[in-house]
Amino acid sequence: MDSPLQCPKCKAALAETLLNRGELVPCPGCAAPLQIEIFPALFRRFTPGQDGERLVVEDEASCFYHPEKKAVLPCEGCGRFLCALCDCELQGQHFCPACLESGKKKGRIRKLEDERYLYDNIALSLAVYPTLVFYFTLITAPMALYIAIRYWNAPRSIVHRTKLRLISAIAIASLQLAGWAVGFYLLATNAKFHG
Amino acid sequence: MADREYHRLTRSRSRSIFGIISTSRSSLWLGKDHLLCIDTTGYNENYKRFYYRDIQALTFRKTDGWIVMAGVFALLAGGFGLIAVFGGDPIVAWVFGILAGICALVLILNLAAGPGCKCFLRTAVQTEELISLNRLRRARKALERLRPLIAEAQGVLAAEEIPARMRAWTGSSALEGQSPGGAPGFEVDDPNAPPRMVS
Repeated sequence: MDSPLQCPKCKAALAETLLNRGELVPCPGCAAPLQIEIFPALFRRFTPGQDGERLVVEDEASCFYHPEKKAVLPCEGCGRFLCALCDCELQGQHFCPACLESGKKKGRIRKLEDERYLYDNIALSLAVYPTLVFYFTLITAPMALYIAIRYWNAPRSIVHRTKLRLISAIAIASLQLAGWAVGFYLLATNAKFHG
Repeated sequence: MADREYHRLTRSRSRSIFGIISTSRSSLWLGKDHLLCIDTTGYNENYKRFYYRDIQALTFRKTDGWIVMAGVFALLAGGFGLIAVFGGDPIVAWVFGILAGICALVLILNLAAGPGCKCFLRTAVQTEELISLNRLRRARKALERLRPLIAEAQGVLAAEEIPARMRAWTGSSALEGQSPGGAPGFEVDDPNAPPRMVS
C-alpha cells in the first residue's frame, strides 16, 4: 500500500492503522516496535512558487533583479523592488535573496542564524585545562585573557547564558599571570642575591 | 525575571555511545513558534529550527541498546565485585570494589531511565533524528509537551479523520505522481540545467 510514512529502520510503508495509537506497534516489515504520531501538516499540499508577472506598461515599477518583471513589493532589508519570483518570505517579512544570504552570514536575521562560537567556553578552557601542566599557562593565560576581553560583548549561546564563564576565565588567567610574575621576580631577586 | 526566548525540553545528550569522552552533544529547546535543536561541540553550537507548523510526524523506534548496555555493566560490576571479594590484598579489594560500585551505579541509572529509543522528526523536506530523545519515557514526555504547541500551530488531527486523509493523499499522489509526503515533483528537461519544479 502507498503511504506517506515509512519505518525508519526497514523503510516499509506504514498503514493508517498504525498511526496515532499512543503505544508501540510492530512494524509490518521488520517487527521493530514503533510509535508514530502524525500531525495535519503531513497532508498539507504545497502551493507552487510564483513566476513573476511580466511588465505590460513601461512606467510600472520593475524588479531590481528582473527588469522585465513587475515589482510586487520592496525588500525589507535593502528596499529594492522585487517581483514575485525574488520575494523570499520569512516569518511575515519579505527579503530579496541577497539580503537573505547576507542576513544569514552576518547574523542580522536571527531566525536564519545556524552557528555560534562559544568564546566563553574557549576562554575558560584555555584558562583551566593547561593548569594541569602549569608551564603551558605562560602562553595560554594571555590567550584566555585576550579572548575573554576581545569577545566580552560577542553573542554567547542562543539559549540563556550569563557572563560567569568569561569572568571565571579572566580571574583564573589573571591569577596564573600573577603567579608567573611572582615566580620571575623571585628568580630575579634570588639570582641577584647569589650573583 | 525576564521572559526567556527558549525553554529547555531535554538536557544535552551525547551523540555517540561513548558519551563520557565525547564532547559532541545535542539538546532540545522549546521556542515560541519552533523547536530548537542545538548540537554543540563545547566550543561552537549549531542550530536547527523545526517550526511547529511544519512538523509532520514524530516516530519513536524502541531499541535494544539499553539492554546490551545493562548486560555489559552487570558483567563488569559482577567481575570487579568478584575480584574485590576474592582478590585478597586490601588495596585490590578497595580499587575493584570502587570500580564495581561505579559500574553498579551506571547499571541502576540505565535501568531506571527505562527502554531506549530512537526518535525521528519529519518535516516536508527532511527526517531528522533527535539524539537527545534516546529513552522512550523521555520521548513520550517531550511529545506531551510538544503536542499542544503543534496543535496550536496546525490544528488537531482526529483519529477518525486519518483514514479519509490517507485515502485522499494516496489518491492524489497516484494522480500527480508525487514523491512521499506530498513533496513537489521535479522535471529534468535540460540535462545541463538544474531540475525544474513541477506543480
